[in-house]
Amino acid sequence: MCEACLRHGTAGKWYLNAENYSNEIVEKYNLRDFLMEQYLNFEQMSVRKVGGMNAVGLGYKLQMPLIGKVVKHFAENVVHSQRPPKNPLQAEGHIGQVIPLDDGIAILETCAAEPIILKNCMCRYMSRGIKEACCINFGVMSEIVDKLPRFIPDDDKYFLTREQAIEKLAEFNKKGYIGSIWYAPYPYINNLCSCANPECAGLRPRVDFDMKSVYKSEYIIETQHDNCKGCKKCVAMCQFKAISYNITIKKAVIDRAKCFGCGVCIHACKNEALYLRPRDEVPRYKER
Amino acid sequence: MASKTKITIDHSICSGGKKVDPRACCKCMQICEPAVFLLHQTLDAEEENPYDPQLWSITPLWLSLCTRCMKCVDVCPERAVRVSW
Ligand code: SF4
Ligand code: SF4
Ligand code: SF4
Ligand code: SF4
Repeated sequence: MCEACLRHGTAGKWYLNAENYSNEIVEKYNLRDFLMEQYLNFEQMSVRKVGGMNAVGLGYKLQMPLIGKVVKHFAENVVHSQRPPKNPLQAEGHIGQVIPLDDGIAILETCAAEPIILKNCMCRYMSRGIKEACCINFGVMSEIVDKLPRFIPDDDKYFLTREQAIEKLAEFNKKGYIGSIWYAPYPYINNLCSCANPECAGLRPRVDFDMKSVYKSEYIIETQHDNCKGCKKCVAMCQFKAISYNITIKKAVIDRAKCFGCGVCIHACKNEALYLRPRDEVPRYKER
Repeated sequence: MASKTKITIDHSICSGGKKVDPRACCKCMQICEPAVFLLHQTLDAEEENPYDPQLWSITPLWLSLCTRCMKCVDVCPERAVRVSW
């Protein structure tokens, strides 16, 4: 995704464009073989050397004065690539955005290509060795995952109707998992994830190394301070540590620079003290 | 933290086909707060474990995020993890 997509795609919401989910894109870019190859060895992506470089010790590479800049530029170019993808061994054109539950529901209702499946989250598996079925796939991607046993949940009901997929997404969102949608690769959208930080391989470069591997959502959190009873329930819900409890005013306070606009904190608040507003209305934090 | 952290896993003990299959343990990965480790299929380049999609090993990946808490060293039943700086 690029700045142009952010500006022009369906009023800023590139992910609400059904075209980007279609099988025609898959055929046009020949993505079937590409995705098969990529997902066969997905977990290796950051340790395999591509162009003499891998992500081992990436943080240290980024700290080096000149080389750091080159590495950052190279990595961002790869994930933001809009060329037809060539190398399944790197995350070419693999770029995403955090989305709140309502937009996720809109995607599942109107855009996502069938079949829709629930698969084991690759990130949780490669970072923690835990198999948790919380990742929703669409279209051709679902057919590919169906051939890769390690992604298939033990529960054999992994093909979902749109309604079941919406139910699942809501369940994960209410648990505090961060909704996110991905081009993988550009311009094909096939993943609606429910992420965790620091486990998510897509969030990590952004959160820990300030690389634009994923965009913040089109929204930002706002507080209705009068309603806040200071119960602190929202604090633990935020995976980006954007909410803290202030002992002097006895209310929750938000560090909006850290807010990704995922909206999961709202599920925790029983007092209607939190709501999402369009990020563009808050010029200071407009940048995605 | 001026010096770099070095983390190694003894792949002659813990890696697919060796004494421990990391997928059956994963203790170090689970105890590490910043999630420094990566579980993956073996690579061509690994001498002890040439590429085999059935064999998996762990690479300490996000070294700069390690807080040097040593929990991974303590939790490993095989004493296969080393952290130094
Ligand atoms: S404060 Fe922002 S980032 Fe944190 S949970 Fe709420 S919406 Fe998400
Ligand atoms: S959950 Fe709601 S009422 Fe409780 S501290 Fe957070 S904002 Fe305030
Ligand atoms: S020392 Fe602590 S932070 Fe570093 S890798 Fe081990 S468990 Fe993780
Ligand atoms: S704790 Fe030790 S034995 Fe277990 S996976 Fe980690 S390195 Fe291997």
